[in-house]
Amino acid sequence: MSPRSSASPLDTLLPSLSEAYGPPGRETGIRRALGGAIRGLGSAKEDALGNLNLSLGGKGKRVLLTAHMDAPGIIVTRVDPAGLARVSILGIVSAADLIGASVALNGGGARGVIGWDRPKDGKDSREIDPDQLFLETGLGGREAAKRIAVGEVGALADRAERIGELWCGSNLDNRAGCAAIVAALKGSGSPRRKAAGSPRNELHVVFSAQSDLGARGAATSAFGIAPDVAVVVDVAFVGESRGHGDIALGKGPCVGLKEEGYLPHPLALEYVKRAAKAARIQPQWLIRESGGSDARTVRASRAGVPTALVAIPARRTGGPRTLIHAADLEQTVQLIRQIVTTPYTGEKGSR
Amino acid sequence: MRGNGVPEFREDLLESISNAPGVSGGEEAVRAILAAYARDKVDSLEIDPMGSLVARIAPQASNGAARRRRAGPHVMLCAHMDEVGLMITAIEKEGRARFRRVGGIDPRILPGQAFRIGPSGVRAVVGSLPPHLVSRPDREKVTAAEDLYLDLGARSREEAEAKIGVGDFAVFDTTYEAWGSVRKGKAFDDRAGCAVLASLIQKRPPVPVTAVWSVQEEVGLRGATAAARRVGPDLAIVLEGTASGEAPGAPRDEQYPAMGRGPALTVQDRSLMAHARLLDAIQGAAKRHRLPTQWKRPGIGGTDAGRIAVSGTGVPSAVVSVVCRYIHAPAAYLDVRDAQHTVSLVWRTLESLRKEWP
Repeated sequence: MSPRSSASPLDTLLPSLSEAYGPPGRETGIRRALGGAIRGLGSAKEDALGNLNLSLGGKGKRVLLTAHMDAPGIIVTRVDPAGLARVSILGIVSAADLIGASVALNGGGARGVIGWDRPKDGKDSREIDPDQLFLETGLGGREAAKRIAVGEVGALADRAERIGELWCGSNLDNRAGCAAIVAALKGSGSPRRKAAGSPRNELHVVFSAQSDLGARGAATSAFGIAPDVAVVVDVAFVGESRGHGDIALGKGPCVGLKEEGYLPHPLALEYVKRAAKAARIQPQWLIRESGGSDARTVRASRAGVPTALVAIPARRTGGPRTLIHAADLEQTVQLIRQIVTTPYTGEKGSR
Repeated sequence: MRGNGVPEFREDLLESISNAPGVSGGEEAVRAILAAYARDKVDSLEIDPMGSLVARIAPQASNGAARRRRAGPHVMLCAHMDEVGLMITAIEKEGRARFRRVGGIDPRILPGQAFRIGPSGVRAVVGSLPPHLVSRPDREKVTAAEDLYLDLGARSREEAEAKIGVGDFAVFDTTYEAWGSVRKGKAFDDRAGCAVLASLIQKRPPVPVTAVWSVQEEVGLRGATAAARRVGPDLAIVLEGTASGEAPGAPRDEQYPAMGRGPALTVQDRSLMAHARLLDAIQGAAKRHRLPTQWKRPGIGGTDAGRIAVSGTGVPSAVVSVVCRYIHAPAAYLDVRDAQHTVSLVWRTLESLRKEWP
């Protein structure tokens, strides 16, 4: 680890969230980890989709702050006679990007590494069909058939580490967003009062499930909470934005202006911009043509919810791990803290 | 009723609804049969604005009357009435009818196939070029559905229009048959599920149940989306007829699920991650009552459960399926023992939910 000026609570929080088990629909480990991290902040409940809903109370407009906690994984479709588990992909990740990933299987607790059937002609291709992937668990034919069942779900499980100013680890999309929210709520030193506290908003926090399967969890949470305004926290990959050039690592959090199925509501956007200004943060602008966040289902919940998107810049390694910049994460924490302590004044349904 | 208190699978009903036409958006004939069957067995019966048939049935009290107070979770059981088929889009001068497919029909199985058009079941065959008029390279290719037509033997537009019209639906011209434990018929996806659901309401269930026979599943899970909002259940179990994975020559471990090996359970498909605790309850019931189960292959297909699960604040949902060979084709097969096991498994699950679900 490189020397840094000061220790941050994120130094332990981010790796613990990054390494927690939580493929879409089976977010057991990450839900437990987040449940522990937010203990004492308010009343937390798990719902039918697996979302972790935290109500912090407060008076004023109802503000929903949400980040998805699931991350891509695999599901076993069969175990072949050689003991290799054939898999199907759960969530949004390409087959090529999974090659070499460490995987933790739920249930039996087996671990493995993703390999692939190379084409017989010897040519390597990045256009890989998920059917070519397999999970090598080192268990051998008979033992694998006994211990690995069809339908067992695996999570990416590489260790998180610090490389210079960057964090590197599995599942940082979107454990980075989850960590930012937790750190913002806990505040620097005194929890609640300073951050979410003396709240001039009625604050609800959702760590959503099944986002990678089509933003399913955020949809039902938003329906239940019926917020006046929502702020979605996610990551955005460098190379995705067509805004002012591209987004970059280390240049601060992004505010979403457009993505697939989503445009920000002007009042929600104004709310986040005002908070950024108060926190002296110059956001990067995120405009992406494809790919999206939970913002699209939250925005369309009930009669519509004014929704803004805050995204932490990230870089894909072309493998199972993701890079984010420590300064971006810290600034995102500050921005979220400012957002939840700024009263939302927009009128419901004013546009 | 079977000796052990589990309702008996109503094969008579499967036969009549399998033979009835019911392409997505035109489920009236199937719905009429199910409504007539269900009317005296349930507490209320309605047709919702989408066309789904919704029946509520309260659990049995110890004195035999309907139990008023809440007893266990309110479970929505859902099976879709619609089947894949064709819709007439144009009638040509020469009397041929052009069509488009409704739902997923493989164009490979269309040429030469017999269909029944409209409510009165006008018969027609899917025509295509005779082999000697097809160029040699094209003989190895599948004819696109757009190049096929329905031939009802009419010689002119007028003659055809006297029998059929644009917008009419067409279904495979297939009649139900029983061969040993195998049943052959059309539309087992999802008339098998519809018949399982109908069988389950023959007596008052262990928990409050709303039975939904939904519409327009094959064209985007539409009926169940609306019905779930209306019903607002605590839990949902979707009953399906799902595709067998049996394929001669394929590796053994790939040939699942298979007909005759019991109800298939879904962990995940393109629409749903099954609710883990509900899936545990179903597996627990199977184990306790020694009922066979098998897995549906993860990652493929989608059902009404996907939409019910994300309805409102979310509904724990699962899918239990009768495995059928050759679904979305003229004649599907199922094993009637699988159908009975599916009835038994769902009934036993409902019993356990009364005790175990918080």
